[in-house]
Amino acid sequence: MPSFPSFDSELAAVWPRLRRFAHALARNPADADDLAQMAAEKAFKSFDQFQPGTRFDSWLFRICRTSWIDTLRSQSRRAAHEAPEALAESVGYDPVPGTEAAIDLAKAQSAMQRLPEEQREVVALILIEGFGYRETAEILDQPIGTVSSRLARGRQALLMMLGEGGQDD
Amino acid sequence: MIDDEEFFAWLDGELDETAAVRVAAAVAASPELTRKAEQHRHLAAGLRRAFSDVMEESGPAPRFGSAQTVDFGARAIEPARRRSWLGAPQWAAMAASLAVGLVIGAQFAQRDNSPVRIDDGLLVAAAPLDEELDTRLASAPAAGPTRIGLTFRDASGRICRSFTDSTTSGLACRESDGWRIRGLYPAAEGQQGDYRMAAGENSRLAALIDETIAGEPFDAAQEKAALEAGWR
Repeated sequence: MPSFPSFDSELAAVWPRLRRFAHALARNPADADDLAQMAAEKAFKSFDQFQPGTRFDSWLFRICRTSWIDTLRSQSRRAAHEAPEALAESVGYDPVPGTEAAIDLAKAQSAMQRLPEEQREVVALILIEGFGYRETAEILDQPIGTVSSRLARGRQALLMMLGEGGQDD
Repeated sequence: MIDDEEFFAWLDGELDETAAVRVAAAVAASPELTRKAEQHRHLAAGLRRAFSDVMEESGPAPRFGSAQTVDFGARAIEPARRRSWLGAPQWAAMAASLAVGLVIGAQFAQRDNSPVRIDDGLLVAAAPLDEELDTRLASAPAAGPTRIGLTFRDASGRICRSFTDSTTSGLACRESDGWRIRGLYPAAEGQQGDYRMAAGENSRLAALIDETIAGEPFDAAQEKAALEAGWR
């Protein structure tokens, strides 16, 4: 693995974003920190599989997302978080009042948690992390059309839950 | 007619130029779509702002370089890379140590006389090695398998000693609570128990020593003085 020694520096550059992504996926800060650390560890162990010349952040986020799904599965909680599509739609009509106040982290995390898993990860990657649709589709191993439709549903649901998140900007 | 997915793709800059112009015109012509675009821009900005707190409070990234020093794999390892256990979050040190432990577990399964043990998640010298590191001068090798090689200080002033026994060689540095293993390597074929290995004939150990050492190795008098001072 010729680029092995650069793992630490690659990770250091992405670490704050990896933590942010983990916080967007996980239910609470403790789970999020565990997730980020687990993802970093797994990435380190499989760094020889990283293709030099490709995006390290995408690769790392993919590992993070896979780790999260594994965690959910191992905790047998996935069913509760993978609402069927019809139910997912109804999240948009959740009676939590929209607010004009700025979104704080707790509120944002809480709203993210109310999204079905497959919408949450798309929202996290595109709206929070700023990945493009194609990169997101590659990270999630899903067609772009699927990413696009999940994103649309997810952000509509978030708008219902959070309002615009700050009229001042 | 602009459907939601196309509208959001436009908002996210994902449409090609032709489609983007068409959607932009439709949005400009529709107060409803203009309002929707504003709402969703605000929402996305609000989300990013909320989660930016997480980034700001991020401590230093965990470092894994140390674990590389105990990779028993056959592939060539590039030496001369800073392997800092210092300043890394404790969990990182623990994770690296545990990785070491796993390797050791595989390597030394069923071995009662392993030179190392896991203590509270950290890899430390086990009793016989610990005692050798505490009491043995390189110039006065014991009858047992353990040999002490170089003694020196690292950049933070800790005293470190290289060692080898019948199957392994490594580097341990003195912490307040004992000898912490910094690196551990299988003894090369035909070199088992050869005390010279601890002085640098194992190339990976030599690289680790080279990475860790600050200044020159102790001479016999300095080594003796350090022993008498309790390796402080």
